[in-house]
Amino acid sequence: MVELLNLVYHCLVLALVVLGLAVVFGMLGVMNMAHGEFLMLGAFSAVTAQSAGLSPLWGVAIAIAVCGVVGWVVERLMIRHLYHRPFDTLLATWGLSILMREVIELFYGRGYQNVDMPFTGSVALLGVAYPSYRVLLMAVLVVLFAALALWYVRSPSGARIRAMVGNPTLAQAVGISTTRLATGAFVFGVCTAGVAGALLAPLVRVEPAMGLDYLLNSFFVLVVGGLGSLAGLAAGTGMIGGTQVVISNLFDQTSGYLAVLAVSLLFLWLKPNGLIARR
Amino acid sequence: MNRRRIIQGGVAAMLGMPLLSRVSWAASSPIRVGMLIPESGPAGLFGPSSRNCTELGVQDINARGGVLGRPIEVLYADGGLPPAQAAQAALRLWRGRKVEVLIGMHDSAVREAVAAMLDGKLPYIYTPTTEGGGCAPATYVIGETPQQQLLPVMPWLAQNRNVKKWYLIGNDYVWPRDSNVVAKEAIAASGGEVVGEEYLPFTVDNFDASLGRIRDSGAEGVFITLVGGASVGFNRAFASFGLPAKALRLCTLLEENTLLGIGAQNTEGLYSSTGYFATLPSGAARQFADRYRSTFDNAKAPLNGLAESCYEGLLLLEAMAAKAGSLEPKATEAVAEGLAYEGPRGRIELLGRYAAKNIYLAESKGTEFEIVQTFENVPPGQSCTN
Amino acid sequence: MAERTSGPSGQEQAGPAQAGAGSSPESGRQGAGRQDGVLQPTAARSRSRRGIGRDVAAWIVLAVALLSVPGVMDEFFAYELGLYLLFGIVAQGIALAWGRAGFLPLGQALFFGLGAYLACYVLPSGGILATTAGLLLCVLAPALLAYGVARLVFARRHESGPYFALITLALVMFGFQLANQWSSVTGGFNGISGVPVPFDLDRYSNYYYLVVAATLASTALVAWLLRTPLGTLWAAIAQNENRLQFFGFATDRLKAWAFAVSAGLGGLAGALFAGHQGIVTPQASSVVLSAEFVIWAAVGGRRSPYGALLGAVVIGILSTYLRDHFAYWEIVIAVVFIVVVMRFPDGILGLLQGLGRVVTRRRPSAPAKTPEAGVTAPDPAYRREAAPATLRYDDVVVRQGSVRILNGLHLVLDRPGLHCVIGPNGAGKTSSFNVLTGRLPLIGGHLAFQGRRVDGYRADAMARLGVGRKFQIPSVFAELTVADNLRIAQWANRARRRDLLRMATRDWTSETMARMHREFPFLAEVAHRPAGAISQGQRQMLEFAMTAITEPVLYLLDEPCAGLSVDETRHLSAVIQATVREAGAAALVVEHDMSAVESLADSVYVLHQGRLLAQGSFEDIRGNPEVRAVYAGGQK
Repeated sequence: MVELLNLVYHCLVLALVVLGLAVVFGMLGVMNMAHGEFLMLGAFSAVTAQSAGLSPLWGVAIAIAVCGVVGWVVERLMIRHLYHRPFDTLLATWGLSILMREVIELFYGRGYQNVDMPFTGSVALLGVAYPSYRVLLMAVLVVLFAALALWYVRSPSGARIRAMVGNPTLAQAVGISTTRLATGAFVFGVCTAGVAGALLAPLVRVEPAMGLDYLLNSFFVLVVGGLGSLAGLAAGTGMIGGTQVVISNLFDQTSGYLAVLAVSLLFLWLKPNGLIARR
Repeated sequence: MNRRRIIQGGVAAMLGMPLLSRVSWAASSPIRVGMLIPESGPAGLFGPSSRNCTELGVQDINARGGVLGRPIEVLYADGGLPPAQAAQAALRLWRGRKVEVLIGMHDSAVREAVAAMLDGKLPYIYTPTTEGGGCAPATYVIGETPQQQLLPVMPWLAQNRNVKKWYLIGNDYVWPRDSNVVAKEAIAASGGEVVGEEYLPFTVDNFDASLGRIRDSGAEGVFITLVGGASVGFNRAFASFGLPAKALRLCTLLEENTLLGIGAQNTEGLYSSTGYFATLPSGAARQFADRYRSTFDNAKAPLNGLAESCYEGLLLLEAMAAKAGSLEPKATEAVAEGLAYEGPRGRIELLGRYAAKNIYLAESKGTEFEIVQTFENVPPGQSCTN
Repeated sequence: MAERTSGPSGQEQAGPAQAGAGSSPESGRQGAGRQDGVLQPTAARSRSRRGIGRDVAAWIVLAVALLSVPGVMDEFFAYELGLYLLFGIVAQGIALAWGRAGFLPLGQALFFGLGAYLACYVLPSGGILATTAGLLLCVLAPALLAYGVARLVFARRHESGPYFALITLALVMFGFQLANQWSSVTGGFNGISGVPVPFDLDRYSNYYYLVVAATLASTALVAWLLRTPLGTLWAAIAQNENRLQFFGFATDRLKAWAFAVSAGLGGLAGALFAGHQGIVTPQASSVVLSAEFVIWAAVGGRRSPYGALLGAVVIGILSTYLRDHFAYWEIVIAVVFIVVVMRFPDGILGLLQGLGRVVTRRRPSAPAKTPEAGVTAPDPAYRREAAPATLRYDDVVVRQGSVRILNGLHLVLDRPGLHCVIGPNGAGKTSSFNVLTGRLPLIGGHLAFQGRRVDGYRADAMARLGVGRKFQIPSVFAELTVADNLRIAQWANRARRRDLLRMATRDWTSETMARMHREFPFLAEVAHRPAGAISQGQRQMLEFAMTAITEPVLYLLDEPCAGLSVDETRHLSAVIQATVREAGAAALVVEHDMSAVESLADSVYVLHQGRLLAQGSFEDIRGNPEVRAVYAGGQK
């Protein structure tokens, strides 16, 4: 039973981590190699909140502010000029990730930072003691994703975004400001990564180099699930998260890690548009 | 070595005449000591504290007259680079900057690379906790071995904390695997049993599956040989699931930095077995810790066992040079066996190029270590016969 | 310029004349040169000779510089430099695959590490012969692996895309994990140490010369490859891979060759690395190292092997010495890298070369006075067989989403000559071309060409059967010169593998090439300008010339005169007619302009809503009431 809870938890958290990249890569076609570093910024926002004496949940607010500003600057200075050069975007954002890592190291040092959980203890869930913070996180995420799905499908701005994604030239022709939407989408994407980092900070190790693994997993989820739709995100998360948890439980962690790599390779090779291909 | 310098130094030391020693000071050039400490990579966080302890060592030794009558000067290189590049850095210190001895605080992969490169042509003091296994000529491994950290400790825990069932979990490389071999020995000797054993790749961040297995196995004690980020992540997750109520944890590479990373909320029932803690009560240890805290910012670079081992390496250098009268590998080899010195850790004695020392078992209270048991003069359990 | 005789192109030449272009070629001399088939040393050939001369000079300078290092500095510095030379070899491989062929390998450390680990086993054993054989193995094994992976990956997509980069990244992660876990073979985390130096050299003194030899060999190989026709093809792949396939080139195979060479270089460097360091650990096959290779190649200059070498050596050495003294070093490197990626795609070397040009005021070379007269190219296979073109669409169905683009198209072509395909927008004209040449999947029905079933054949396969396609929006290789564009067409379906590696192939010419130069004299004038810089009209004519040079059995021309002025249209139509008829080929021409159809067509096919509505001569069609209704909008 704990395994089931673990699976749900793992998939929800993975979806949160990937959401930002799903927006940036899936919608804008930007391979943001600094995605993990924005998450790291969010985690360090929680660290900062804690050292300022606030509850780490304030870290979420700080994360949104910091990632918003940084994301806006990065989009204007860098991403905007590289929309039609996918390799160059990849490399430039890789350089950005190194830069962000080094800057954080300069200010916080290289060591692990501790972020306390806002509240400890566990609740009895399905006959098992499960950490309360995790339970709260899962509940919040479920609500968040439901709201997001509804917004995307029903709201006018969601429709505008879907138009831009489907046919940018035509969207521009009917007066939708694609530049502003693009900036907005990018900022939203990196802020989401920051929020993920801030929420996860009490649960994982926090250090300047934490971003790379999140980045790679995120790409694999998107490749397997398919770009450009929430359904694809769900499919990819289920596939990758599920593989990792199931194989780790059946065999060992190494096999789980390798299984994720193998699945990703297979999809990259045979079905690069993913399970739920937009095209 | 220069006979005149030895006589001068000896006279000065015997008469304790500061004037004379100052004269001989001006006349002699410093001995260059190569210090290989991690400034990048996963162990990079120990860089600043290691440097600090090295500085204290240089001050102390030079105040006492230096080595072989000459002051020592430390040149640093990054031991946290990948082994090939770290060996390059060491090579640069040796062939380029002409150091006369190398002291290393880094992982064993780098040690192997550096030892192969040196080929016994330079004395090499390796200071941190290790699985052992290095028997290169003129290489002195003075850090804690698994035998030292486990053979006295696990039976004590079995008896005093009632731990019979052990779960072994570590990262997948040589130190955890070798440690677990010794652990199984210690567990068997104390009448316990091993209820699980697993190895994780470095990249894993989600320990739920392992925690589930630990819970199901009914373990009363978990022996953790995870390192760095994995240790932090695992320990936090362990505590968040309420598992400290079921089992205690024992680590052999848990120092102050990692403890801070784990966080006060998560350290209940977490034990560390090693040769040094910043909270050691002995006179020499307290003096050292006080000096460290007053000279450096402990918040930014907390004093810890790995950093302190650099200080120990310098103390060994001083003792060895004094006994051998030279830093040639042949001379140091001749005097190595049975060489002993006293420092913040207590008494260290070289046996078969490894070191017998005191081992301290500490329990975490918040983010501080509280010593619960001292094991004196534990033999290294490994030795080199070549 | 004003005395240009051939009509339309004269008024189109608005672009700035090349300095030193001087007088235009006299038509008479052109004709004489080609008709005689006389081999003349041409300006073009001497141009490529000048380029090769520059290459050799650069190589000699490099050799002298590297060989003098132990003397000028000291042996220890030379030892340290050796490591970065080895990294530079890997970076040169990346310059080849990415800088030239346009796909980014993010996991080169996989091959570097493979070469290194292999070397631990195969190098220390025997004498000179055995060690050399071992080195060869360390080069070939990664190359073979890379070739296999590339063939598998590239066969499925007709464009590289960033997915390939992700695949190589995933592979190197896999390799890294393997290196860590498989301790019995790789020594696990601690790796394999105590690796002896091959050939009994001394690690800190004369092993350097072996490293230098490898570096010089690698530089020479890459520089040479970039100059061969294969190098031009790789550049074409990077610019317009889609188009290159329509010239019959199996681009997945070409890319796989590039990847294999880059992997072989990685393996060579890795093998020498093992002896250089004496230790091989999983770090040699890590993601971090792979990223560093790419950064060095990018910052140094990915377009040239000298740039890549420069990047590895300069950044590597600076990092080693400055990292200790300058805390912000990594930040500086990251910023430099970002700036290079965004602004200076040619890296430091490109900057230096640009500065050099400004300083010496050297202009890009003047165009040739005469087009190449050189070696006659062999005939393509389908020309030799001389079978007439027959084409058959049997109830062909093509769907996109829920829309049936072709709805049971039934079309038969069995005579040579020009046949126009007309119909309202959305009738499926271009789609009929696309499904024949493998750009749209065939959902139902069959296709047959010259009696052979060609369902689902790829674009390059159809081109090799003798189907030549010209696109509505002229699709050429914009950054290659016009001359190179024509060369590629000349090589299409004629050049075999070894021809692609011979410099003489660059001088291939043929009857049709000569004829195209006669019909379009501007081609000689703009021969050394990039194809993207000429006017739209000229590009249309260039693309047709390229299609014609492949001497196809069946032409598929999609609105060939789109965007041309009246005069240009007349000229091009005339050329098309003459070319097709003289070759005895068949042509399907999509046209909207009825006057063009009237003058061109031997027969007309009318398409409507994905089906053939009518077929016959122009008069028949004009009189057909159904056709009129469709065009007048009366019928749905």
